[in-house]
Amino acid sequence: MFLRHVTKDISAYCHGELSSQESKQFAEHLIACAKCRTKFEEVKLGIKLAEQLPRLSAPDHLWSELEPLLAKQTTSIARSSSSWMWQSKVAAAAVLLLVAGFGVFWIYKGRPAREHAGPSWLVKRLDGTPKIGSEQISNNGQLAIGEWLETDGRSRAQIDVASIGNVDIEANSRVRLLQSRADEHRLELVRGKMSARIWAPPRLFFVDTPSAVAADYGCAYTLEVNDQGGSLLRVTSGWVAMESKDRESMVPAGASCETRPGIGPGTAYFDDASPAFREALTKVDFETDAAVCSTALTAVLDQARPRDTLTLWHLFRRSEGTDRERLYDKLASFVPPPPGVTREGMLRFDEKMMSQWLEVLESMWTGNGGGKMVPKKVADAYFKVRNGLSGRLKDMAPK
Amino acid sequence: MVMAEQLIDGRVIEACQQGDRDAFQLLFETYKDKVFSIAVYSSDGDRALADDITQQIFLKLFTAIRQFRGESEFTTWLYRLVVNACLDERRRRRRLLPWGEMVAMKKPGERKPQEKHYARLEIAEAVQAAIAELKPKFRLPILLKYIEGLSYEEIASVMGCSKGTVASRLNRGHSQLAKRLSHLNNPEVWGD
Repeated sequence: MFLRHVTKDISAYCHGELSSQESKQFAEHLIACAKCRTKFEEVKLGIKLAEQLPRLSAPDHLWSELEPLLAKQTTSIARSSSSWMWQSKVAAAAVLLLVAGFGVFWIYKGRPAREHAGPSWLVKRLDGTPKIGSEQISNNGQLAIGEWLETDGRSRAQIDVASIGNVDIEANSRVRLLQSRADEHRLELVRGKMSARIWAPPRLFFVDTPSAVAADYGCAYTLEVNDQGGSLLRVTSGWVAMESKDRESMVPAGASCETRPGIGPGTAYFDDASPAFREALTKVDFETDAAVCSTALTAVLDQARPRDTLTLWHLFRRSEGTDRERLYDKLASFVPPPPGVTREGMLRFDEKMMSQWLEVLESMWTGNGGGKMVPKKVADAYFKVRNGLSGRLKDMAPK
Repeated sequence: MVMAEQLIDGRVIEACQQGDRDAFQLLFETYKDKVFSIAVYSSDGDRALADDITQQIFLKLFTAIRQFRGESEFTTWLYRLVVNACLDERRRRRRLLPWGEMVAMKKPGERKPQEKHYARLEIAEAVQAAIAELKPKFRLPILLKYIEGLSYEEIASVMGCSKGTVASRLNRGHSQLAKRLSHLNNPEVWGD
């Protein structure tokens, strides 16, 4: 399967027409094969476009024009019994009411009716009595778009994410299915903890939290949301991006990232970084006082190890002025920039130089971090996507 | 609409087979939008022509329903009738119209090229125009999938081909749509 290209199965995969095993093999091949990934993006766009095709309404005059034509054909056909006529008139009235009701609902919602009959995900009870909406599930249940799944202190559940993975919902959690379609599967976690294992191409599975969105890049991770709306992401395999409107952090296996409401994601850090490093980083990320931030940045630079270039790189991309220079110098002391990459170029965020150096740095981040999902290729895909969004590197929120 | 379709059971179909007009009106009200949608997209957006095609389909259905033996799902049988009627109409027009006049829908670029931000409605219009340019063998599976919500197996049954052929044609149809509308591959266009 790894050797066989999967381009002919792309639509079937996106429409859930492959078996679980086939879907898994498909996704595994896709992550490793650039050719199929390119085709996948193309077909995915085609599907997204086709989904915009509206169902049209037949004009009202059709029946009145059709009736006399039918009358001509009716002469040779015997009428059915009167009892049936009574029933059929009631049924016809019912369907007319139904159609009219649907029309009003459709207009009210401003969306095509077929979206309301959307897909649902299988939910398995793991412990206790999880609830979908107000109903407890004994063994299995179905989570439809817009529905909430809630666990109390004693219950846990597992959700099958279409055919691309599964998510364990831990105790005291509240999660909602927001979207499930070929090009996007999205959950919302407002409270509690979940563990996700996803075998899908990059950016197909998302989890919204009150303070950021976790975008999957083919990975396994846990995500916790506290009562204040802050979250903590820990990645155990592959990569995850934590994103908000104007901030993002790319988090590889072995690393974590905190988010805060109103601010968004902090900076990714490796879990084995020193406590002093992490404490200082929290201040850099979330303190508003410029003097406190500057002192904390000094502590971050002092405490950093070569592997912490992950953190330094993210901070560098967000920095300005002398902070940017300090971060560059520290990065360069750990990992000398490759030939052709200059200090001046890096300080003005030359995109070509940025990607050249990043390629070298990545090997350091993933080499000891337990990354199992071809991280380089995933990172390539990530930066390709990001660069495609009109060079957002320069739009990162300045500290 | 699923609920409405549930009203069409064996008794309704039997009454239609006996020429009952009220039963047939029920059938008409249930399926008219779906049939009309396929007719519009198959006639390059020409709604007047789609009106005629829809009428012809229901006229034909009124007599042909007597031949329905229940060997397949009624919807599969009906969509086969619709697909064949649309293909016949296209063949007929092909004989009458010179090549190049078949695509009546405007291309999105002809509308407001200065506008960077497409509304969803405009995307839908662009998709309709691009769909109209697809060959019927790629277009019809897309219509059956996205307008009628049929599975690959059901589409295969309607089109009289294998499930693999449906998968392949949908794949190619999606690719062609994406290539024709590659300018819409931009988050700003979708307002994402």
